[in-house]
Amino acid sequence: MAQIETTAPAPATAPGGPSGFMHRALRHRAFMIGLVLTGTMILFALVSLVWTPHSPTEIVISQRLKSPSLSHWFGTDQFGRDILSMIMAGAQTSIVVGLIAVCLGAVAGVSLGLWAAARRGWTEDVIMRLSDLNMAFPVILIAILLTAGWGPGITNAILALGIFNISVFARQVRGAAIAMWEREFVLAARAAGKGDLSITFGHVLPNIISVIVVQATISFAIAILAEAALSYLGVGSQPPDPSWGRMLSESQSYIFLAPIIAVWPGLAIVLSVLGLNLIGDGLRDLVDPRLARQR
Amino acid sequence: MALLSVENLTVELQTSRGMAAAVRGVSFALERGGTLGIVGESGCGKSITALALLGLLPDGARARGRVDLDGTDLLTLDEDALCHIRGNRIAMIFQEPMTSLNPVHRIGRQIAEPLRLHRGMRGAAAREEVLRLLDRVGLPDPARRIDAYPHQLSGGQRQRVMIAMALSCAPDILLADEPTTALDVTIQGQILDLISELVEDNGMGLILISHDLGVIGETVDNVAVMYGGAIVEEGAADSLFANLAHPYSQGLFAAVPRPGLSRGNRLNTIPGTVPELTDLPPACTFADRCAKATDICWAQVPVMNRIDPDHRTACHHLGGSVE
Repeated sequence: MAQIETTAPAPATAPGGPSGFMHRALRHRAFMIGLVLTGTMILFALVSLVWTPHSPTEIVISQRLKSPSLSHWFGTDQFGRDILSMIMAGAQTSIVVGLIAVCLGAVAGVSLGLWAAARRGWTEDVIMRLSDLNMAFPVILIAILLTAGWGPGITNAILALGIFNISVFARQVRGAAIAMWEREFVLAARAAGKGDLSITFGHVLPNIISVIVVQATISFAIAILAEAALSYLGVGSQPPDPSWGRMLSESQSYIFLAPIIAVWPGLAIVLSVLGLNLIGDGLRDLVDPRLARQR
Repeated sequence: MALLSVENLTVELQTSRGMAAAVRGVSFALERGGTLGIVGESGCGKSITALALLGLLPDGARARGRVDLDGTDLLTLDEDALCHIRGNRIAMIFQEPMTSLNPVHRIGRQIAEPLRLHRGMRGAAAREEVLRLLDRVGLPDPARRIDAYPHQLSGGQRQRVMIAMALSCAPDILLADEPTTALDVTIQGQILDLISELVEDNGMGLILISHDLGVIGETVDNVAVMYGGAIVEEGAADSLFANLAHPYSQGLFAAVPRPGLSRGNRLNTIPGTVPELTDLPPACTFADRCAKATDICWAQVPVMNRIDPDHRTACHHLGGSVE
């Protein structure tokens, strides 16, 4: 590590820049494991767009509840559907839900957080109290409320998660941004004649981007888990769209007959959430220069 | 008419114990090309005075009085109008070159910022101007350093970058708030020489804020000594240093360590500590630490007395012609 921290005088690459970061990332074991796990999930989803071993929705009653075999690697469920194919297609659902829910929350939450930090005073009070109010409603409750209004469906699950994420991001970003506003380089930028808006996007946001990225990976993991929970409760994705959460809930009735069919979706959820959390933790270490130096 | 004239500037800050006056009725004037040093201990209000000139006071602070720049009262301007003044007509250099630069941007981009903002310069033209500025402030190898990040430069180099940034729009006034405090002594001299040279070449006015009497004495023509938010003594640097009048100025000067003083001799200090803003004595703010204090010092605010043609002080015990 030493040769990276004592930077060369040549200004070509900063230690925070691409090459130093890659170098440290490759040595960060937990981060690499997270990358492999998440990469596998993304690969599953991508491959399932063009090919799955069997159709994930094709029902073959004669093949029901089969143990893993050469033609069905993960076995089949109570309708004779191929579990591997369902897991692969389910990864799509998880990624789509996670991605949209996180983007929704991040865009709105980051804007609100930055606004609160730049304005302070009553603007901040209003934004943060509304955010507290939003946080007082658990995701499941928001999803059930939306379902009561517009019926069950994956869109409502995404919306519920997105709305919840707004508060999560707003709080994180506000805190980090306020700390940045106190920094001397912001005062120097103001003394140079920059306005609040250009300081926010030119000085505050670039310095807290790591906080946002870390929060995004963790929120992504929570979204996957929550989508599974919502689908398990029947307010998430609807049959026949494959979903890890619904696979888990449907396997419940067969838990004594064929326990293996509950293991696969459970394992998929655990490993993808673990992967994203490891990436989040790893990023936190890698982008924080103080922690990087201690390593 | 003076380029900048500050009249009876009072700044109140919000503290946990209510509003407290950090600056009390400060007045001074700066001619075009003139240099003024403001000297005093930490917490005497010198930095707040500088921030008040730029309208950069912390939230909840109130400033009263007049700050005239070419006849415009800066205290009455709104934020947009102030943004046109800051970095353009009045530029500032800060104490900590280590933290005054944004760590995530290359220095070239940061120096170009005021140019883009106030001169509308972009791209190659801006880059060329930045290179010229870096060369002007004596940063070695500007063509390579322009793409460096702040952490790749030393403290002195960073302060040169800050100076280049402050200089970029050829301001009328340069505010330097303890520009050398965070630097090595050898670098301090270089930076001060650079500032003096630039001030002379560009005909800028300079307000140099420092607690270091040596720094002030070498660099400026006029000096104001501040204590407890008020100016207690002011005048031309030569006559002021030749004949320090106010008990606080004498104490401040006596407290400067001198080489050659034999070991074991204790440094002179001013008894007591700088009081909290909310606990300042009601009349003369130095009364509680002053050996010469009498009843009148607690009862009546001292006014500026002329004791020499170009030397004035605010002390009840120093007579002279009252203005």
